[in-house]
Amino acid sequence: MIGGPRGLLEQEALKPKSVSATLRRFGRYFAPYWLVLIVTLVLMIGNAWVQVITPELLGQAVDCYFTPGVANLAVEAAPAAADAATSAQPTAAQTNCWFDTLPSNAPTADLLRGLGRLSLVLVGLYIFGSISGGLMFFMMSWSGQKVLTALRGDLFDHLQRLSLGFYSKHESGDLMSRITNDSNIIQQAISFALIQVVSGSLLIVWIAWVMLRTNFLYGLLSLAVVPLMALTTVWFSGQARKAFRSARREIGNVNAELEEGISGVREVQAFSREDANIESFRQSNAANRDANIRAVTYTSALAPTLEALGFVAVAIVAGVGGILMLRGQSLGGTALSVGLIVTYLAFVQRFNQPIQQISVLWTNIQSAIAGAERIFELLDEEPEIEERPGAKLMPPITGRVVFTDVTAEYNPDEQVLRGIDLVAEPGQTVAIVGPTGAGKTTLVNLIPRFYDVTGGSVTIDGVDVRDVTLHSLRSQIGLVLQDSFLFNDTVMNNIRFGRPDASDDEVIAAAKLAKAHDFIERLPEGYETTLGERGGGLSQGQRQLLSIARAALANPNLLILDEATSSVDTRTERQIQSALDDLLAGRTSFVIAHRLSTIRNADQVLVLKAGQIIERGTHEELLALEGAYHALYMDQFRAQEAVKA
Amino acid sequence: MATQAMSRRGRRQRGGEGGMKSLGRAVRYISRYRRTTSIAVIALLISIGAQLMVPQLNQNILDTIVYGTAAQRISALPVAQQADALAQAGLTADQLSRYANSAEQILYWSIFLILVFAVMRGTFAFTQTFMAQKLSQDVAFEFRNELFAKIQRLSFSYHDRNRTGQLMVRATDDVEKLQVFLGQGLLLALQAVILLTGALVLMLLTNLRLTLLMLPILPIALVLFMVFGSVSQPLFVKVQQKLSTLNSILQENLAGIKVVKAFAREGEEAARFNTANVDLMQQQITVARVFSFLFPVIFLIANIGQAAVLYFGGRQILAGTLTIGEWQKFSLYLIFVFFPIGQLGFIISQMSQASASAHRIFEILDASNDVTDRPDAVTLPSVQGNVVFDDVSFRYFNSGENVLTDISFAAAPGETVALLGSTGSGKTTIINLIPRFYDVSDGAVRIDGHDVRDVTIESLRRQIGIVLQETNLFTGTIRENIAFGRPDASDDEVIDAAKAAAAHDFIMSFPDGYATPVGERGTTLSGGQKQRIAIARALLLDPHILILDDSTSSVDVTTEVAIQAALDRLMEGRTSFVIAQRISTVLNADQILVLDKGRVVARGKHAELMEESPIYADIYRSQLVEDAVATTAA
Repeated sequence: MIGGPRGLLEQEALKPKSVSATLRRFGRYFAPYWLVLIVTLVLMIGNAWVQVITPELLGQAVDCYFTPGVANLAVEAAPAAADAATSAQPTAAQTNCWFDTLPSNAPTADLLRGLGRLSLVLVGLYIFGSISGGLMFFMMSWSGQKVLTALRGDLFDHLQRLSLGFYSKHESGDLMSRITNDSNIIQQAISFALIQVVSGSLLIVWIAWVMLRTNFLYGLLSLAVVPLMALTTVWFSGQARKAFRSARREIGNVNAELEEGISGVREVQAFSREDANIESFRQSNAANRDANIRAVTYTSALAPTLEALGFVAVAIVAGVGGILMLRGQSLGGTALSVGLIVTYLAFVQRFNQPIQQISVLWTNIQSAIAGAERIFELLDEEPEIEERPGAKLMPPITGRVVFTDVTAEYNPDEQVLRGIDLVAEPGQTVAIVGPTGAGKTTLVNLIPRFYDVTGGSVTIDGVDVRDVTLHSLRSQIGLVLQDSFLFNDTVMNNIRFGRPDASDDEVIAAAKLAKAHDFIERLPEGYETTLGERGGGLSQGQRQLLSIARAALANPNLLILDEATSSVDTRTERQIQSALDDLLAGRTSFVIAHRLSTIRNADQVLVLKAGQIIERGTHEELLALEGAYHALYMDQFRAQEAVKA
Repeated sequence: MATQAMSRRGRRQRGGEGGMKSLGRAVRYISRYRRTTSIAVIALLISIGAQLMVPQLNQNILDTIVYGTAAQRISALPVAQQADALAQAGLTADQLSRYANSAEQILYWSIFLILVFAVMRGTFAFTQTFMAQKLSQDVAFEFRNELFAKIQRLSFSYHDRNRTGQLMVRATDDVEKLQVFLGQGLLLALQAVILLTGALVLMLLTNLRLTLLMLPILPIALVLFMVFGSVSQPLFVKVQQKLSTLNSILQENLAGIKVVKAFAREGEEAARFNTANVDLMQQQITVARVFSFLFPVIFLIANIGQAAVLYFGGRQILAGTLTIGEWQKFSLYLIFVFFPIGQLGFIISQMSQASASAHRIFEILDASNDVTDRPDAVTLPSVQGNVVFDDVSFRYFNSGENVLTDISFAAAPGETVALLGSTGSGKTTIINLIPRFYDVSDGAVRIDGHDVRDVTIESLRRQIGIVLQETNLFTGTIRENIAFGRPDASDDEVIDAAKAAAAHDFIMSFPDGYATPVGERGTTLSGGQKQRIAIARALLLDPHILILDDSTSSVDVTTEVAIQAALDRLMEGRTSFVIAQRISTVLNADQILVLDKGRVVARGKHAELMEESPIYADIYRSQLVEDAVATTAA
């Protein structure tokens, strides 16, 4: 109520590309609810009918009951003359009274009875209008929500099926804001805008038609301001939208400075930058205020202008009608009546709101179609990795992993891996080292089939990973990532993520193995402590321990580990180390290694550079080679020597 | 989720108690914009006046039409019958002649006046709305400025207790709610009250009996609107909660897709999403149900009022005590009565929200700052670098447990003090006491003999360089970020600092060099690059006291070497306090403090400590195992 159409005008208007295709596809989601939609439409027509008919009934009240009464006053005194006047000048021009066309000398009691009946009918119509309006709104919302829920479900399922290649191309934050934004706009359109625009248009057209039909010229004159209203609204909302676009930029600046000022407050104070920051904030804050004030100039003008135009319409209806009646002239062949004037006055008052709403909401609907289009685009994204039609279950893994002449590429002209051959025997630890961008992560990602090889093959126990179902493959491979992603859930459930059917005791056993039990016990609610977003509230080291526990619970024979490089405090570091040692024992493991100890204990060390294995062997063998590994290793060592000197 | 709901409940309760008082205090902010406010109020009065005139003119027109035609007819009668007819029609001879002769003129005048009032109404309604919006922007401007300034100055202990997100919400959402209420809600309330009163008075003047008939409907309508307002608000809050649950599941699945896929948990996650999805749908449908019931009921009441006016007004018309024009006028005024009642209902329901927001905003503005300049604080003279901790203890406000207990040590100019200990041992707290981010609870921290509490904070902090492990950079260019502590530094100085921090080369490798914009929080730079810019930033201050965390976050070996060399250069010739993660720092340190549970458990040089302190030896071995092995291997 407060702020009016401002909120809607603030939104960015998006233009859809292929409206009909999108609508058709969207329509398919509505198909199961076709009956509800038809009923909604019928109710809408009924509702509009009430709105059209009630002004006519008011007019009837005047013409059929009031004016005969008034005429009576004169008539009783001079029956003869009045008769003459009546025949010469049909007062009740609109003689299609519903109940009774009473003679102009009818007794007051009859008039009153007729009026009573009419009032009751009016009440009945109002009740019908309210019920149909309420039902229509509810049914539309109901089916709209069902559709939205289905759409969200489809989207989620699809997002899960998309392979990692897709996610490497799209930032999760961008995706997230796109999806929430689009579904928000669609939600608004479905639950609010659509019904307002459709019923508003219906009402306007219907009223205009009735006005023109009853008296074409008079109707035309009364409607004269309508195009003006439409133009005003379109122009003002267009301007407002433009102005809000710059206001949105400014508020973006304000929020960014705010965020930075708060999250960086320690630095600000450390460098005594409070005053400078406050001043700079003040400036963007002022720019935001000014941009908003510019924008509200247009929104503030919209409603008053429409209202003033509405008064002009009233003046036209009453003025033209009044003068013609006083002169006893007819317009377009039909005589006017007081009732007709009253009816038309009521009609023109009903125009204002729908016109305003339609123009404001129309953009909302357009944006919603564009939003739906983008969601469908997402739904049309093909998952790169799909199970073969006859994919079998992966038998229990023993742990022999073989890469045969593997190549991998993200796009045709950019090979990430070339000619990779390797054999990991059950229980072996394979350490992978090399500079950033050498292809380490891609190599390990091929094992759980996050990506597909473009040449060669990856087999586990002799089975090509592409021949088995993804679920049976991945559920047997443990994974500890560098960025230990945790869910906004209890510690217990976060560990249990590794194996949903694990008992509490098993979870605790896994936590003990991962040396996480002690710190978990010290958390406010122990295993039942809910972790903040992305494991907030825990230190990086603790998060790593939890992610190790998660992998330990899954108890896989094949393990992939991306060692964290970031520093954690000494004690935690030691715990992680020993937890990892326990975890790796007896499992085939692929480790993207950063710790010397891991590398030293590995059965094989692969040195990767530019997508190729350039050296392989044990730590000692590689050092003896005095090649790339030796250089890499010595680099670190020499640096430390230099510092000591 | 559970804690969120709890804090929300807690908030509302608090809003109820102190809320109204806070709201009153917030209202006083309006008085800073007297001109805008008075223009708005004056425009409001004029525009309501114009609005109230239009039904009156409507009446004039309709009555002129009705009586004008009647008068024409009566005039056509023989003169003898005219008197009788007049008496019956309730007209005087004067009126008869007026209606008969000048009906058209009256009509023209009325139309002209309607047009005049239309222009007036349009102009002043615009002025009123615009001024109200401007006022609301002005008020928001004030609140945001005050909040930001306060937040910037509040000490670390406050920021330890309050998360960025929470403070953000207050400076955005709460300000917005308050702004809408103060700038527009209050004025709308005033408008509603005036319009309501005006319309009611005019109704009474028009027809007392009909007005009395309408009166009982009004409170019912008001109550319904208020119910509507108070019912819909929590419903929307609930929708918002369900939506955020759904969004966080989606968010987790997008950001953690690899984990989900790795553990083959798609099915379970889909089920979780589905539950939340259906939950949201059901809540939305509940909202729709409430709305599709309440809205029509409210309209129905207003409409039944109109039907009643038609019937009972009609009776009076037939009895000759009401004219058709008056009837029309009356039903228009009735709309003017219902409309503001609706507005009032909404504004009242908004008020509780706005007062809760006001309460939360003032909570920040009233927060006491633990660390402030003493009234007699002096400027700290140019620092030599003598730092003394004299029997220092520290505990957080309203906590009985000491974070630091009886810490005493002295650092001579140019010395390096290495701090060792596990997480929570108090290392960070010690370094935070030097630039007075916190105040000691007992004892004193002295720099060159000055208690840090006796000097101005600015003169103290300007002379201390700080490099933290988690590097925060700010939007702006690389140059601006390096010159963060000294915006007036020359280009040469900035470049020198960057060179010393081993940052110059990578900065020059960007196409825009030093003018390269640093994205929000340094997103365009890698961790190692950010760290080196932070080092350059501290170097540019050329401080005699340096505080740093020498751990390097995830960087490759070459970068790490460069960073460590830069750090070592940074420490040269300055009194340095280092939270040590590297063996070289410990080996070079003039003093090593080993901390455990807030106490110094061992101190001395590396060689001494290796002999005397088992804790130190333990930390040393566990932390530096790689180096040890490397040494052997070489």
